[in-house]
Amino acid sequence: MKKISKKTLNSSFWRWWYGNLTCFSQEHMQTFGYMWSMLPIIKELYATKEEQCEKMTAYYPFFNTEPQIGCIVVGITAGLEEARANGAEGIDDEMINGIRAGLMGPLAGIGDSLIVGTYIPILLGIALGLAEGGSVLGPLFYIVVWNVTSTWFQHFVYMKGYELGGSAVELLVGEKATAFRESVIVMGQVIVGAMAASWVSVTTPIVIAKDSTGADVLLQAKLDGAFPGVLTCLFVLFAWWLMAKKNVTPIKVLLLFVVIGFVGSVIGFIG
Amino acid sequence: MSLVQAILIGIMSCTAASTIACLGTTVGNYTLNRPLVASLFVGLILGDVEGCILIGIPMQVMWIALVTPGGTVASDLRAVSYIGIPLAYVGAKAAGMDFGGDEAYALASSISAMTGVIGISLFYGTAMMNLIWQHIGWAQLDKGNLDCLGKVTAIYPLISHFVLSFLPVTLLCYYGSTAVESLFAQLNTDVWYVKAMLAVGAVLPAVGIAILLKSVVSKPTDLIYFLLGFALAKSMGLTLIAATVVGAVFALINYNMTMMKLSGVSSGSADYDDEEDI
Repeated sequence: MKKISKKTLNSSFWRWWYGNLTCFSQEHMQTFGYMWSMLPIIKELYATKEEQCEKMTAYYPFFNTEPQIGCIVVGITAGLEEARANGAEGIDDEMINGIRAGLMGPLAGIGDSLIVGTYIPILLGIALGLAEGGSVLGPLFYIVVWNVTSTWFQHFVYMKGYELGGSAVELLVGEKATAFRESVIVMGQVIVGAMAASWVSVTTPIVIAKDSTGADVLLQAKLDGAFPGVLTCLFVLFAWWLMAKKNVTPIKVLLLFVVIGFVGSVIGFIG
Repeated sequence: MSLVQAILIGIMSCTAASTIACLGTTVGNYTLNRPLVASLFVGLILGDVEGCILIGIPMQVMWIALVTPGGTVASDLRAVSYIGIPLAYVGAKAAGMDFGGDEAYALASSISAMTGVIGISLFYGTAMMNLIWQHIGWAQLDKGNLDCLGKVTAIYPLISHFVLSFLPVTLLCYYGSTAVESLFAQLNTDVWYVKAMLAVGAVLPAVGIAILLKSVVSKPTDLIYFLLGFALAKSMGLTLIAATVVGAVFALINYNMTMMKLSGVSSGSADYDDEEDI
């Protein structure tokens, strides 16, 4: 009965943690990081060079996902390799790659929206608040909290993947996990609104009339009387609409906003 | 900026490339690559931590959510962090701007957008060059040399970083800072084109927030929560952390309702305590 030692599992985990994207290319993306991470496991389970080389070919195919949540896939395949070395039925290269290919898409979606799209911006948002006035507290908060929680999470899902095998995925895509994820995203939506209000400020200097005392009546004041910051809000929603509904790339939207800002300032609409 | 300072910033840029960072995903890409974190290190190198962090804040807002689906990037923040921040800092300093003021904020936003676009070419350049190392790797694997994997993953890509990160960043910081300094020393913020550039800097963060909004909104009704957050902060004056707490209440209600629906309302109290399981 072969059993992967704790040390080897950790070595595989840290290799993936560090090297998942260091040799990124558009063609193979995370494939080399994956192979490097599986190497200690294959070496421990199989004694001869021929066997090692043969088993490694299972990891030649393309792999790409959100690498932090993707730790679970590496953990699962480590568990599968152990079972295969012990002669379990039905585990072959095809089955392993079926699992890898089947998981990388959904996990990328979850990781991108939850880790990169929600968790990191929330941490950065708090850090930006703490950094006000140029305080080092902001960056330090982010460095410590992000690295500790993220590394802990990655180690946790790697080991879960190894212990539970394919059923570990329930942890991340099960009903409970989905409800949890969707709820966190609700919080994210509220926070993004607060971020827009705190950090973006689009104003207009347009004068719409003179009041009875002869003072200027500003459009900005009228708009803010209805819904404070409505102009800022409209700019954000306009940019969102272009990207989400019209599929305009972020770069094109940026360029468009450069033009809007420039022309708007020259004709006296923005400023 | 002295050559030593430029070299140090160049080295930092290698550690922090988007996606491909030589210190890995968690520490490199998602920590050192972020402009807010970078501003601390650039500040230490340039000897003004407070000023650099103030410049870094608007640059971070601009790119607060940078998702790279399928390896297509909207920007490589290493250019924002390690070209944009140093140059914006020396520029704002030469122009005598208040680092925490509106002008410096708008200037930093504009530079953030511009350098972000430069970053894209650095990103694709590095990814292209890595093809060479992977090619070497496949050839070695064919020969049965499994131990080449460590070199291909961890060592060879450093050459890509030297060519496509260290050299351009160091040179741009070293020679660019002198040019930026002399340009900004005579900057008059009342001229129409400078005003226009600052207006551009004011509207650009809207795009950064919209990128983030896109990653959390999946249906139009989700925008109601966005508007709620906006009103909380703008009309009611809540800080971001206070708004997070209000958001958490809605998240909890949503979670409980979803779990209730799943377990069937009749079964009464679903167990709410398992959120930590994830």
